[in-house]
Amino acid sequence: MTLPEATAATRPTTEAVRLESVGFVYSDGTRALLDVNLAIAAGERVAIAGENGSGKSTLVRQLNGLLRPTEGRLALFGQDTKRRHVAELARVVGLAFQNPDRQIFAGSVRAEVAFGPRNLGRSGVEVDRLVEEALESVGLAAESWTNPYDLGYSRRKLLALASVVAMDTPVVVVDEPTTGQDAPGIGRIRALIDLLSAKGRTIIAISHDMRFVAENFERVVVMGGGRVLLDATPSEVFAESAWPVLDSTSLTPTYPALVGARLGLGSTPTDASFVEALAARQASS
Amino acid sequence: MAAIAFGVRGWTGPLSMLAVVLAVVLAARLGRSLTPYVLATLPIVISILLVNTFFYPSATDVIVALGPLAATWTGLAQALQATLRVEAFALSVALLGLTTSTDDLLDDLEHRGVGRRAIFVIGSAIRTIPRMAERAGEIVDAQRARGLDTEGSVWRRVRGVVPLAGPLILSALSEVEERTMALEARAFSAPGRRTTLRPLADRRWERVLRWALVVAAVALLSLSVAGRFPLP
Amino acid sequence: MTGSPQPRKTGDSGGAGVAPASAGPPVALQLRDVRYAYAGSENWALDGVSLELTAGRVLGLVGPNEAGKSTLCLVAAGLAPAAIGGRLEGSVALGGRDTSSALPHELAQRAGLLLQNPVTQLSGTSPTVYEEVAFGPRNLGLPLDEVATRVEDALAALRIEGLGPRDPMHLSGGQAQLVALASVIALRPPVLVLDEPTSQLDPAGTRLVGKALAGLAGATGTAILVVEHKTWLLGDLADEVALMSGGRIIFRGPTAAMLDDERLADLGVEPPPVVRLRRSLVERGLTPEPSLLAGEGQS
Repeated sequence: MTLPEATAATRPTTEAVRLESVGFVYSDGTRALLDVNLAIAAGERVAIAGENGSGKSTLVRQLNGLLRPTEGRLALFGQDTKRRHVAELARVVGLAFQNPDRQIFAGSVRAEVAFGPRNLGRSGVEVDRLVEEALESVGLAAESWTNPYDLGYSRRKLLALASVVAMDTPVVVVDEPTTGQDAPGIGRIRALIDLLSAKGRTIIAISHDMRFVAENFERVVVMGGGRVLLDATPSEVFAESAWPVLDSTSLTPTYPALVGARLGLGSTPTDASFVEALAARQASS
Repeated sequence: MAAIAFGVRGWTGPLSMLAVVLAVVLAARLGRSLTPYVLATLPIVISILLVNTFFYPSATDVIVALGPLAATWTGLAQALQATLRVEAFALSVALLGLTTSTDDLLDDLEHRGVGRRAIFVIGSAIRTIPRMAERAGEIVDAQRARGLDTEGSVWRRVRGVVPLAGPLILSALSEVEERTMALEARAFSAPGRRTTLRPLADRRWERVLRWALVVAAVALLSLSVAGRFPLP
Repeated sequence: MTGSPQPRKTGDSGGAGVAPASAGPPVALQLRDVRYAYAGSENWALDGVSLELTAGRVLGLVGPNEAGKSTLCLVAAGLAPAAIGGRLEGSVALGGRDTSSALPHELAQRAGLLLQNPVTQLSGTSPTVYEEVAFGPRNLGLPLDEVATRVEDALAALRIEGLGPRDPMHLSGGQAQLVALASVIALRPPVLVLDEPTSQLDPAGTRLVGKALAGLAGATGTAILVVEHKTWLLGDLADEVALMSGGRIIFRGPTAAMLDDERLADLGVEPPPVVRLRRSLVERGLTPEPSLLAGEGQS
């Protein structure tokens, strides 16, 4: 078992997100989602993985109302999203997009991050607090007054992340948070996820970084062709029996999973679980 | 062709040009795509018809009188002639637009010596519009996801202008330097002519036809102006 | 696990048909004590960089973000200062010839440069991928069949022949990145300078690019300088790796030794999965099995 999986087992449950037979067809006839059933409890850390075109982005856009299911039903904290405006759903689900340059418009990092909470009607004092905390959590506190375009691309991505964190929504969705980040940047993102999780926020992340997924999420939803192919823990998703499914959606297991299987240690999706398994075997032999 | 349609007095000019245009349209099977262009000319056509029919000066052959206004045959005839001119002109321009691919046109212009920078600027401008529209769509999504209200009162929507236009402009500007570098890195500023990828076949009969049209236009126009045009 | 190119070791010039001159294999790229500051900036973005790259060899460049790696790419390809201005001290030579008085289009033929952001790399004026890849060769006024051959070879090297008729503006980030790389390869420069060429690609696409680059270095003697965060890719592709930080090259050496070096992690560079796993085992007091060392890096 990985660490996130162990922590999850002891958590009390309220249901945050429920998709029932959700399907989606674009206006030009392309089908992007088919019969998706998913229930995510409050506080869960869920990763969504799959090849390009598997429906991941379409799925997360249903969550805040940018796209509406053409079939099936979507509920957030028990309430159907059907007749609720995007602006209203943005209070419940914060979505950080992949390309930060599609949302940055302010002259300073601070003003940029303040945009979200202001839209949600927070008071001036609250906004300041939320902005400071968000910048702190991504390591940009020292750049409050910097112009966003004076930051490099990877830090602009962190800025976009902070902008969503500042909205303080119960559900936080991020699209490919680690692409373009160096090791310290990825470290910050992990710390941020831990922080949000400690506050009880539900976290959903799209990622093709399998190591990042295995080490930080307790649940992996594997998508392919608009459907959910697998919905299980990293231990189950990276187990040898699941490899053909991963392959069908252009995903490869993590290195420790590959080596662990080769050595007959069972499913070892992370370095830590591999080491434990090997230690256990050597101790017992 | 547009010149002939407008410049030659009487019916023959516009009628014959219209006939040519329609013949080409049928041959190229562009009928349906012509509809928006025809619809676009309707406002002008309707006003021409009304104004000329009712208000043609010094016409006395009345068709019907509606109070102070009188519709005259002379007026109607002039109206129809003018309509034909407008339609022939508009549709021949439309035909040009529908049958010419921008890429082919730009390629050909470059082949004939128009500088690569001018071609680049034009080509880029044409392509920018749909590209910016797509980007704008992504920006709207991203800002709505941050609670920007795009469905509320006018005042609220006005406040959305900066967060919507800002990223579009800023990202376009910040990309300029990188785009320039990328162009230079692919030898854009090399001297001489670029290789033409798609040499457009300029067939003999096309060239002859082009010149014939030009000659005909000049000839017909001068005859018409000199008052010696033989047909009505 | 799929096959990968042979791990490359030192001492082999690699290029077919590149006969070492009596003075040694040809030096494709050379920087001596280079310092560079962007126009309008007080700081030296590069602060004393010296490096040499011989034909047919691949040098990987790692380091934290904002270490100067991208700047080094611009300077190595000569575009800084030729196209963007700025102050340059020291010397940069491509193929033995100094770049200081060369014009951008001349430099483009001596070093192919691929920058990080695929969107800005594409010209935005080509209706098809095929024409986009032809952009470079066309600019040079090469004969039509030469242009065609180069385009087809470049598309084939990256296995994207199928994208030929597509609109470059409607591609995914990964596809756009492959097209941008193909359009640089189509110029057939003797030196390739690539700034994170796989940033948008998934592991399969990344491996594809690695194979293509290794192929170019081996078959045509192209010298390649590649900036990468994915150290596992460098393990398969690069002969040597250099670590950069604060505008300087901290140290450099053969790939295997470099990726195993502890100093990488100190500077925020993630070692390949093999190395990480081995270290985790060692930390726990377990002996890593020999079979681990033979494994391929996956993410």
